[in-house]
Order: sequence, then C-alpha cells, then structure tokens
Amino acid sequence: MYKYDEIDQRLVDDRVTQFRDQVKRRIADDLSEEEFRPLRLQNGLYLQRHAYMLRVAIPYGLFNSAQMRVLGHIAKKYDRGYGHFTTRQNIQYNWLNLEDTPDILAELAKVQMHAIQTSGNCIRNITSDPFAGVAGDEVVDPRAVCELLRQWSTLHPEFAYLPRKFKIAVSASQEDRAIVAAHDVGLYLHKNHQGELLADVLVGGGMGRTPILGVIIKRDLPWQELPNYLSAVLRVYNRFGRRDNMYKARIKILVKALGSEEFARQVESEYEHWVGGNSTFTEAEWQRVAQHFTKPAYQTASALTTQQVIQLADEIDQKAFARWLERNVKAHQVPGYASVVLSLKPHGTVAPGDVTTDQMLAIADLADTYSFGEIRATHEQNLVLADVAQANLYSLWKDAKTQGLVLPNIGYLTDIIACPGGDFCSLANAKSIPIANAIQKRFDDLDYLHDLGDISLNISGCMNSCGHHHVGNIGILGVDKDGEEWYQVTLGGEQGNKASIGKVIGPSFYAEDMPDVISQVIDVFVEQREPEEKFIEAVRRLGIAPFKERVYQDRPNRKTASEVSHG
Amino acid sequence: MAKLIRFPKTGSAQLVPNDWQVFRATEGEESAALPQGHVIVPFSWWLTRGSKEQHQARVQKDEIGVWFAPEDDVLAHGEAISAGLKVWPILAVDFPIFRDGRGYSTAALLRERFSWEGELRAIGDVLIDQLLPLARIGFDSFAIRNDQHPDVALAQFNSVAYVFQNDWRRERSQKQVSPV
Repeated sequence: MYKYDEIDQRLVDDRVTQFRDQVKRRIADDLSEEEFRPLRLQNGLYLQRHAYMLRVAIPYGLFNSAQMRVLGHIAKKYDRGYGHFTTRQNIQYNWLNLEDTPDILAELAKVQMHAIQTSGNCIRNITSDPFAGVAGDEVVDPRAVCELLRQWSTLHPEFAYLPRKFKIAVSASQEDRAIVAAHDVGLYLHKNHQGELLADVLVGGGMGRTPILGVIIKRDLPWQELPNYLSAVLRVYNRFGRRDNMYKARIKILVKALGSEEFARQVESEYEHWVGGNSTFTEAEWQRVAQHFTKPAYQTASALTTQQVIQLADEIDQKAFARWLERNVKAHQVPGYASVVLSLKPHGTVAPGDVTTDQMLAIADLADTYSFGEIRATHEQNLVLADVAQANLYSLWKDAKTQGLVLPNIGYLTDIIACPGGDFCSLANAKSIPIANAIQKRFDDLDYLHDLGDISLNISGCMNSCGHHHVGNIGILGVDKDGEEWYQVTLGGEQGNKASIGKVIGPSFYAEDMPDVISQVIDVFVEQREPEEKFIEAVRRLGIAPFKERVYQDRPNRKTASEVSHG
Repeated sequence: MAKLIRFPKTGSAQLVPNDWQVFRATEGEESAALPQGHVIVPFSWWLTRGSKEQHQARVQKDEIGVWFAPEDDVLAHGEAISAGLKVWPILAVDFPIFRDGRGYSTAALLRERFSWEGELRAIGDVLIDQLLPLARIGFDSFAIRNDQHPDVALAQFNSVAYVFQNDWRRERSQKQVSPV
C-alpha cells in the first residue's frame, strides 16, 4: 500500500501543528465556536450529543496492521475501548475530549494517518472497492488513481468551502462495489485497446433527502486529465451550487436544475482552459505512487477446490467452516489465494461496524500472520483480509473465531449497515443501533438466513442517509414527529451495477414494530418466492404492493409519510 | 479602516498601512456620493456608474478600484472586466461570511483567466484561519476583520512547507523519483 514520503509526512505534521493552535485558540475563546466549526470539521471532528466525535480517514479503505494497532491504542487511551467503522470506509471515535484531539492526530500522523477532510463542505475521503488489486473481476487496479486523487484533493485551496460536502468514489471491476452512482462524482476506470487508462465520469449522484443516481457526463477521459476535469466540475459547482438551503446544496441539485447536458456543457467550457495544462498528472507522479501498489510476494500454490479447503478443518468444525467459506470468503485473482471478510455484525450485541481495542489488536495480528499486514474497510462496515492463502483459511478461521469475527452472515439480512443514529449523532432524528440489534436478534438463525439468501438491510437515523438506506433491498429511515421516533420502510433499493433507489412502502412505524414489520416483509418473500430467486428479484417482480398489504393489514393507524417531518 | 496584510507573490507577509476604503453601496444608496480618496467600489456599481463622466478624473488618478461580490459572475462580464483591468489599480473580492467559498473561484479566475497581476485583496469576513488558502488561490492582500490578531495572522503564511496542488504561488510539491 501507499507509503508516505517526506512531503506527505510533513504535510500531515504541519496540519497537526496548525490544528493544535486552532484548538488552543478555541479553548482560550479567541476563536468562536461558529468560526471553529468548519475548521474542526475539516479535521474530522464533530460535536455530538455527548462528546466530540473524531472520524479518521482510511483512504479508499486501505490500511495496515501498524495503523490498526494505533487505532486500537487510541480507542483505549482516549475513548471507551472501541471504534466504529463507517459506511465511508473510515473509522470514528465517539467519546473524545476536544483537548485530546491534537495529541490523537499527532499519534495518527506517526503511522501516516490523518482526519483531513473526513467532514466539512469539502472534497471528502475518496472511497473505492475494498477488493481493489485482488478482485477476480477487476478491470484495472484503481488504487494508484485513488491515491493520486487523495493527494490532489488534500487541502485544495479553491475547494475548501464548497456549498456542501463532495464525495468521490472509484470503481474498476465488472461488479461495482463502491456504489459509484450514489456519489457527487463517480469514476469508472477501464483501459482501451491501446492499453491507456481512461475514466468515465459520473456526476450528480447522492443519497440524503433527495436520492439521485449520477449520470455519465464524460466518457474515456485519460487518467492524466482527472485533476483538470474534476477541477472544472468543482469550479462550476463552487460558483453556482446553491448556498441558501443546505438541503439543496449538493451538486446533484445543481445538475438536476441545469439538466445534466447543460451542466456538462458548462464543465466542458471550463475544462477547455485546463486540458493539458500544468495540473495534468504526469508519468513521474504515476510512478511515484503506483510503485506502492505492486503485488505482494505470493507463494506459488495451486488453487484448492472448496472441498479441499473444507477438508483442512477438523471434522467437528467442518459445517461451520464450510458455511463461512461460502459467505465470507471471496475469489482472488491469484490461484491458491482468497479474500476473507471479517464480520463486524454479531447478532444483536453491538452497533454494526463496532470493534473493541482487543479485536483491533487481534485483527492487526491476523493481518500480519495471514495477509501481508494489510486490512481493508468496506462500506458495508466489515473488514477484509485480502490476500490469504487458501491453505491457511482454516487456521485463520480458528484464530478469528476467538475474537467473534467469523459469523458467516456476509450479505445476509443480519449484515446490517447502520449509521450511529440517535444514540450518538446530533443530527439523527431516531436511533439506528437498537433497531439493527432487534432485527438481528429476530433473525438469529443461520439456517434460516441461509435459506433467505442475499438481502441487504440498511438503516439511517435521519435523512442524511449515512446508513445508505436508499440502496438497501430493505431500507429503514428514522424520522421524527413531535419528538417521537418513527421508522419509514423502503423496498427495492440496490447497490452494484443495477443500483436503484428503494420505494417507500407507506406510513411509518414505531421502533417496537420494526422486527415484526421486517418479519412480515420476509414472510411475503418466502411465500411468493420462485426457486432460487433473490429477495431483490422478487421485489422487482412482485412490486411493493403485496409487501405493503401484509405489513399494514393489522396496522391501520400508522403515520402517513406526509405527516412525518423529515427535519 | 481594516488592518491590512500584504503578502506579495514573492516576498514575505507584513502588516502595512491601508489607504483604500471600501465603498459598500447597498441597495438604494447607489447614488450616494463616493467618499474622497482611494475607494474600492462594488463591481455592480461600476457597471452602472463607473463610466460616468463625473468619475473619470478620479479613475485617471488611479483612485477607483473594484470589488466583486460572491454572486458576481466574472466570466459573464468578460468584456467589462477586461476593459476595467486597464484602469483599475486594485481588485478585491468580498467575503460576506468566511465560509462562502465562491470568492476563491472568483480570485482564481481573475488570476488565471484574466491574467490579473496587480493587487488582489480579500475583504469582509477575512479571518486568520482562511488566510493560507486565500493566499494560495491568488490573494496578496488581506483586510483582516478588526478582531483578528495580526501576529497570529502573519504566522499563518509560514505554517505549511508543502502543497499538493499548483496554486498562484507555486507548483505542487513532489518528491522526484528516478525513472524505473
């Protein structure tokens, strides 16, 4: 993975010094909270319900064991012994003191980490495929482009005070695992017949209150031109994006207002002044960065069949191990290797994505022992060990099992994506974690989950949609009405190549209704399912009507969507 | 008058006397008399009144500069601006609130697209913690808000060693690697 040179290191060190001074001035009240706010946000620091929350950047989800150990250490020393992996492939801490944050950033800087632009109205941490560089269906390795864009976007002088946040996602495989179309800018990378690396640029996607999927406005842009074209996109947005209403300030609203063709035309007329200019990425830059994304020292091994891998396990473990192989182990480019997803979704006991310090330290050891010391965070809030020899899978499984990280529920109904919700977040209208936990407990039956197959369930505690509920097969959105927490359900959302936005099935529910509501939705699926049909396929085939009918038949008095404020 | 920092493209930042006052003709006051001395007028005011005969003497004496509001679309007024650049001794961009970032793009366009090499001043809600990006994007003059401490402000300009983007002052910092 990428390693800082002295320029990268000095840049984050300077940033720590700068922030230390800002915090000092804030504490002395030389800096007002209003004026400090964007500064702390651009360093990932939020003021939440109970304490400060710090979101640490994990650029495109890739980090290493040394960094994981420091993350674990920070959780123990400054927080309450755990951290939370987010849907942006980052990690956040919930219980910090403002005074400690410069020291925390200094500890992070020592292992080449930072919290720059993990929040605020600026270009956020760039996200990508957690299986980049190893996925069987990869077209090109997107990581060098991701890193070049990380550098280009870091402390950009023109785009630090945009109308609203700006998220970029990159994907370069057959299957889109980065929800590219749901980002302000999405990039699909590919190569042409001459072997040149090109990008298709999508713009105007986003979740939030107005979910929109982005559209391609530029095809086959040479990778060298990315800073030029993206600068043009951002300049048009910075100049003309709405600033009068924060709910209408994302680029998607501007693109929608202008129409994507007119928006593209304006970008093009700005881009004319940039193309081929001195911001163009150079071959030297590519080499400086790409040299860090070479393949690790794989052993030559022949591919094992699943049966052969299962035979590695003691007989007593074989059933559980086989199940884990099926759900949590993914195909790899290199024969004899596999990628392993560590589930951070135990049934009903912790917030989805939470890990304790002990687990973080253990995962760092697992990475060192089994996966060349590297770890990836997924937007589904799990972790990936990307380069595991098949021959070591059983040994890894046994080790990870001691930490409760081998629940074979990846992609199942209980692999719930959820924001921290009203338990922590000051933006939230409703809690997310108790809903996730209640549903996990209701469906705590691996045989049944196996029969149900792939179902994504995403929960957001408010319209900001950090839980990506719009693209969940089942989406749950917390809403507030007169101080009471209600939950709205959507069906039919999907990530991936057929990304789609779910449809609201009707009036909202009380928290205590939610496990029953989900059970009823699942019952309809089970009753009407065709052989081998996936949940999302059944929803597409049946429409939402039969689900709606079942869910509301005994609930005549639920709040209608229009009654419920989305504030 | 606001405290003023000059930070030329080459050279160091320092506190200097401010001899330009900003004329903020709000709606209904456009016809108010221009103050005497060096005055920076709103671009919108310039468009409607700047060419009036009565002001020509002062324009000739280099007494009238222009400031841009966040909503002024400089590209849509290319001709007026190109003509004005020949007579304006100073340009300014207003930040009614520090977190409105439109002025950064306005400044970048004045430097890049209109090739303005003269003084470009940030006015309005100009605070210590935005000085660095402002200086990078093209401002070389900063009328800091009255409560901002000049020494803390001056220290900002030397607070980072490297940058990751080309800006008005320098090329992006890159470690040189020998070709493979």
